Amino acid sequence: MAALRAFLASPAGRFVTRYALALAVGFIVIALRPVNDHVVNPYTTFVAHEARLALNLMGEGASVRGQTLSSRRFSVQIYNGCNGLEAILIFVSGVLAFPARWQRKVVGMLAGFLAIQLVNIIRVVSLFYVGVFYPGWFATTHIFVWQSIVIVFGVLLWLLWVHRYALSPVER
Amino acid sequence: MPSRRSNADLARFLRRLPLAVVIAAAIWFAIRPLYNPVICTLGQVVARAFEYPRVAKIVLDGKDAVIGRTDLRADSAWLKVSLTQIHFNIIPFMALFLAMPRPFSRGGLKALLTALGVLLLSHVVALLLNVKVYYSFNLGAWSRINYSDFARNIYGGLRYFFDIAVTFALPLLLWVGLFPERVFRLLGFDQETAARHAGRAS
Repeated sequence: MAALRAFLASPAGRFVTRYALALAVGFIVIALRPVNDHVVNPYTTFVAHEARLALNLMGEGASVRGQTLSSRRFSVQIYNGCNGLEAILIFVSGVLAFPARWQRKVVGMLAGFLAIQLVNIIRVVSLFYVGVFYPGWFATTHIFVWQSIVIVFGVLLWLLWVHRYALSPVER
Repeated sequence: MPSRRSNADLARFLRRLPLAVVIAAAIWFAIRPLYNPVICTLGQVVARAFEYPRVAKIVLDGKDAVIGRTDLRADSAWLKVSLTQIHFNIIPFMALFLAMPRPFSRGGLKALLTALGVLLLSHVVALLLNVKVYYSFNLGAWSRINYSDFARNIYGGLRYFFDIAVTFALPLLLWVGLFPERVFRLLGFDQETAARHAGRAS
């Protein structure tokens, strides 16, 4: 018990506590029905359209109906949970939990949002082509390859933000 | 700017990370055939410990767990859950661990075992939440009679939180929480500086 108290009072313990709190609040907010209906669902549709644009740049002739991305060769539905929003929330919680000035946090959150968006589009497009050419590998690639990459990418972004930007030289 | 020492540490970490991901995935592939039955068995034991009559059934089916009840007809609904989805987060955690300089030195092994214990616990809890979701959503009239809307919302919400938030966030939390000195050194400052700064910023 004393060890736990000492850990929670340490900088790492404070980070873990704040991170868990920010994450819980964030996930509760996006799970609320009004937020889901007016923010999460439109955002998922937006992601589907971004992926459609990327696929069409490669001549795939894809279209979007609701949150389903289709071409003549393959079709994939983008569910909530696959739209990158949760990965963004996980990164943003790390930024919020770290003791830096608000201006630096806002810049970190915006940059992270854009970077994770980009990676998520690459993920959706690559999964689409896995579905076209190696459909037997779709589930494996979807679950353990890309989800692992997304987690490691989120941690890397956070590391680089803290290392390069979160603290000014005077604050170190 | 961060010190030259921390730049070198971070650069080494980043160089090691791709190989660490591959090794972590290989370890996960190797232990998966042993790990899947362990979490199914533990999940069933714990589920039965908190119910009466003790009827929860979790059967391993390839890479999935199939959840049912022994007191219902054989043709009743069963729920298939991907075990890969539950425990793939071992890969990113192991990758972050292995990419650190000298990961097994200075208590590294003990911290690793602690982290793997926490991950195992989280995987069993995730499976248990799937059992509760199966009971409260998938059994038609039986579910509606035995579980209120409020209970269904709670179990559904908790499963969603465990499926995504906990699964995705645990690798970073365990890495920072169990290897604070090394992670702070990678970030470019020691714990004392972090403590001083935390006091100023909060």
